[in-house]
Amino acid sequence: MAGHRGKENSGTYDVSPHQNSGVLHQSTNDVPVYAELLADSSKSKLPKTNGGGDADEGMNTVLSTGAIKGLLAFTILFLACIVAFASRLFAVIRFESIIHEFDPWFNYRSTHHLVSTSFYDFLNWFDDRAWYPLGRIVGGTVYPGLMVTSGTIHTILNTLNIPVHIRDVCVFLAPLFSGLTSLAGFALTRELWDTSAGLMAACFLAIVPGYISRSVAGSYDNEGIAIFALLFTYYFWIKAVKTGSIAWAAGTALCYFYMVSAWGGYVFIINLIPLHVCVLLLMGRYSQRIYVAFCTFFILGTLLSMQIPFVGFQPVRTSEHMAAAGTFVLLQAYAFLKYVQDYLTKQEFRSLFFFGVTGAAGTVFLGVVFLTYAGYVAPWSGRFYSLYDTGYAKIHIPIIASVSEHQPTTWASFFFDLHVLSCSFPAGLWFVIKEINDERVFIILYAMSAAYFAGVMVRLMLTLTPVVCILASICLSKTLNEYLVDDTPKKEKNDDGEEVEEETEKKNRKLYDKVGARAGKVRKIKQEPEKDSEGTGSNLRGFVVVAIMMMLMMFAIHCTWVTSNAYSSPSIVLATYSDDGSRVILDDFREAYYWLRQNTDEYARVMSWWDYGYQIAGMANRTTLVDNNTWNNSHIALVGKAMSSTEPEAYKIMKMLDVDYVLVIFGGVIGFSGDDINKFLWMVRIAEGEHPQDIRESDYFTSNGEFRVDKGGAPTLLNCLMYKMCYYRFGEVQLDFRTPSGYDRTRGVEIGNKDISFEHLEEAYTTQNWLVRIYKVKDISNKEKVATPSKKSKKKKVTSRKTSKKRRGQIKNKPQIKKGVRKAKNSSKKKSTS
Amino acid sequence: MKLPSVASRITLITVAVSLSFSLSSAAKSDGKKENQLGERVKQLSDWGSKRAVIKMNGDKYRQYIRSTPRNYSVIIMFTAMQPQRQCSVCQNVNDEFQIVANSWRYSPSYSNRLFFASVDYDEAPDVFNSLKVTAAPSIMHFPPKGKPKKGDIYDMQRLGIQAETMVKWVAERTDIQIRIFRPPNYSGTITLGVLMLMVAGFLYFRRNNLEFLYNKTMWGCAALSIVFAMTSGQMWNHIRGPPYAHRNPQTGQVSYIHGSSQGQFVAETHIIFLLHCAITVGFIMMNKNPISEGDVRKRRVLTVIGLGLVVFFFSLILSIFRAKYRGYPYSFLIR
Repeated sequence: MAGHRGKENSGTYDVSPHQNSGVLHQSTNDVPVYAELLADSSKSKLPKTNGGGDADEGMNTVLSTGAIKGLLAFTILFLACIVAFASRLFAVIRFESIIHEFDPWFNYRSTHHLVSTSFYDFLNWFDDRAWYPLGRIVGGTVYPGLMVTSGTIHTILNTLNIPVHIRDVCVFLAPLFSGLTSLAGFALTRELWDTSAGLMAACFLAIVPGYISRSVAGSYDNEGIAIFALLFTYYFWIKAVKTGSIAWAAGTALCYFYMVSAWGGYVFIINLIPLHVCVLLLMGRYSQRIYVAFCTFFILGTLLSMQIPFVGFQPVRTSEHMAAAGTFVLLQAYAFLKYVQDYLTKQEFRSLFFFGVTGAAGTVFLGVVFLTYAGYVAPWSGRFYSLYDTGYAKIHIPIIASVSEHQPTTWASFFFDLHVLSCSFPAGLWFVIKEINDERVFIILYAMSAAYFAGVMVRLMLTLTPVVCILASICLSKTLNEYLVDDTPKKEKNDDGEEVEEETEKKNRKLYDKVGARAGKVRKIKQEPEKDSEGTGSNLRGFVVVAIMMMLMMFAIHCTWVTSNAYSSPSIVLATYSDDGSRVILDDFREAYYWLRQNTDEYARVMSWWDYGYQIAGMANRTTLVDNNTWNNSHIALVGKAMSSTEPEAYKIMKMLDVDYVLVIFGGVIGFSGDDINKFLWMVRIAEGEHPQDIRESDYFTSNGEFRVDKGGAPTLLNCLMYKMCYYRFGEVQLDFRTPSGYDRTRGVEIGNKDISFEHLEEAYTTQNWLVRIYKVKDISNKEKVATPSKKSKKKKVTSRKTSKKRRGQIKNKPQIKKGVRKAKNSSKKKSTS
Repeated sequence: MKLPSVASRITLITVAVSLSFSLSSAAKSDGKKENQLGERVKQLSDWGSKRAVIKMNGDKYRQYIRSTPRNYSVIIMFTAMQPQRQCSVCQNVNDEFQIVANSWRYSPSYSNRLFFASVDYDEAPDVFNSLKVTAAPSIMHFPPKGKPKKGDIYDMQRLGIQAETMVKWVAERTDIQIRIFRPPNYSGTITLGVLMLMVAGFLYFRRNNLEFLYNKTMWGCAALSIVFAMTSGQMWNHIRGPPYAHRNPQTGQVSYIHGSSQGQFVAETHIIFLLHCAITVGFIMMNKNPISEGDVRKRRVLTVIGLGLVVFFFSLILSIFRAKYRGYPYSFLIR
């Protein structure tokens, strides 16, 4: 620290030598002293303490340096927060302030419910407008943290007479919390390493794509606030381990409670912290502090987490939580043995200790195994088990295996989400291992377990990202410390600042002022190193610094590019670019949902594939049959069966389910590839899983095993309800002069069945670009239905009788005629003879 | 009046005789076929009792599978197991097929209604030609009556090679339910146990000198290798099982880098593993403090090498990534 402060001093004086001559004078006196301190610090590595030991040396200088340092740190953190917020606004600026995708719509809808009713109403909310006719107990099946958070913000703002719509609170919640996340990252890194690394980590966390992917404005989902809760819990835990105070440990439990209320990923915490404790015990690093911290955290945390209705008794009844309980018991045994140590000789204690600890560990393990087999504790659920045994989900849980988020991660997506950090964080891990202490054990375990999980599942990249930022910042800040000895802390901050500046560009005037100031500093540095050429040489230093800066700048550019291109599309509003470069916005989804909202009965029931359930409920406010909370597979299969069978068959099912409208997504006109025809095979597969007699997947393929919608397609496919609803009257449309009528742009073929007519359905609405088509299910029409068949049958019967009569008559008549002829002949003969 | 009746009788008799003759001959030939069938079934079940999957060549195939009266279904796997064919999928399919066949062989409902057989391309190419099988491995069902139809070819592309789906398909084609019995795989457990024993033994022998446990470099290397393995996508390889590298069949060129960002080859991940290692080593070298105070030269050399490693290999990774990720605009030093 001393070294830092000295460096700080000289730097600041260089910048503003004329402002305060008194200080300048002082500084000239101090310079040699600081030079010595500096040399010390470079020899004995970096000081590990944080701001804790601030007050030891020369009071006069400390005051000013502390203030400058604090100001710098504050500015950098402030800018990091602003960047974190601003870089997530691409979607809002390009489109508008809307909720994205699918799941966020449900979260928004329940938040809306929470705001418009009361908290207890929300907890007891039984939603009868989803999963018709089953309904869904929403209060007991959600993590309410997200809704409560935005509800609270909304209430506070409204009591302050700031009228903000709840939708805007929801849209901007994730960017807001990512600012807080970078603060939490700063605090955690400062505890683990030092302040400069912390500032760097905050800047990385603000812009790293791995985290932005889940927290752009409008993606109103649990992960957005959960990462903040995760890092904050870890910060408190590190504090508790360091200090051994009950207050910090209780704080950990409170943060853990918030995390439990926000995201199912809390299981990661409740396994990682006991792992940390266990490893500390194994390393012989047991202390009273750990005992206090863990016991307080475990008891309070477990009790608090059980207050969430969705979690309930899981903390005492499932295997996922048993590691924590086992560690708790083990820790008691360990502490007891430590206590006994005072009353025994060394030799006695050694044997007792060894057997005691192994015995306790064995007992705990066997106890958990026994409880699991006896049925008191539920075994690992498939979701978690699939993380351990990677082949498990593929065979046993196809729904998990089919979701693209649950695929393993290629190195390319690691690089895409982390860029230079993925290359530099192993070095950070190395430095941390080399200078290990109690709390650094934690970050090592976190890094390794999160790396494993991220390797198994793309989705868990989210948990890896913070630790990568922390370790990479340790690596880079250590390197920069080494090569900016003259000006260490400031220089780091400089390039942080530059990243920041890449992001905000013209948004922040302050930054430009800062850049100017810094440029002055940088020039100074270049001159200064010539003095101490005994180190690595000023040129070489310059090279290293420039190279690292270049890489960091590339990182900032990469982050901006990725955020802008990959992670900022709202997916309910589509944008295309026409030939002259102008942008065309396709707003068909909202058009259709709004039509439903305005033109249908309030209690109308809309059938669609489950992907669109949340959106229909959220935007159209109509009852849905299935939605994205895929808890009832057979219900989904029933809808899939209706979609994939013929119209009369489907009509039976639809009448059974009281369906009023059917909604399909059709992308053939504009070439939208995520439409229902492309998803159709999944509907067939899921339907086949429940109704293997009626639906067979192979019927929907051609004899060559192809899935085609043109003339060569399988007849079952060309006549199923989904096909008919998508392509109804599509054959009459010629989109382009180069293509025939009925040309499907998504699949690039001319459709096979252009002559489609409906008996039980009628087209209700089709949006501008045909993206959404809505059909009304007709009532059972007693008059016509009964009339036509009877008429037909009468006619048929009449005609058939006639024909049969005619035939009979002819047959009968023929011999008569012959007889007559013969008679006539006879008679003629007779006549002739006679 | 009598004559015609006699004549008619005679004709009747002759007809009857001839009829009976023909009938008896038919019966005889039937009996022959019956015998043949019995023999064949006996032979097949004989073979079947020896090994679950019967190896077929061209003659056996014609005799037991093509010849008409059958009362048994045969499921044949067409494969190319010779090592020079380099068919890694064949091996996997063969394993699963063996599991199905063995489950049937040892199931309580085992009967002569269903046999499993395999034909290797290098032993009987004529069978492949006659059936117009162009791809190996493929699995076909020969029903007791008639020729294989559309659904009698197992759709490996769509259904995958799991024994469970094969059994489903078999049940669909033959109405025979087989319960899969996988021989439990103890190899993992045994290796783990042996490993644990070795570690314990090692610790026991070194019990007087456990200093090495406090060696941070060793632990650091272990932790880093786990991290490298994960970030270079070894887990993806483990789950998806990609080929080591891709050889273009026309030009014979071997490409080590997969063309899209959705996939990767094993060789590619090894390259990335090494690149990550190099960058990390570079960073560590840059942070190496001089051992002695005056050793400035050494430190300079270390810095230069470290910086070179970091910058060069980072730009290499970036350029590989750029080649994989279409439309990625940025590069660093190397295009």
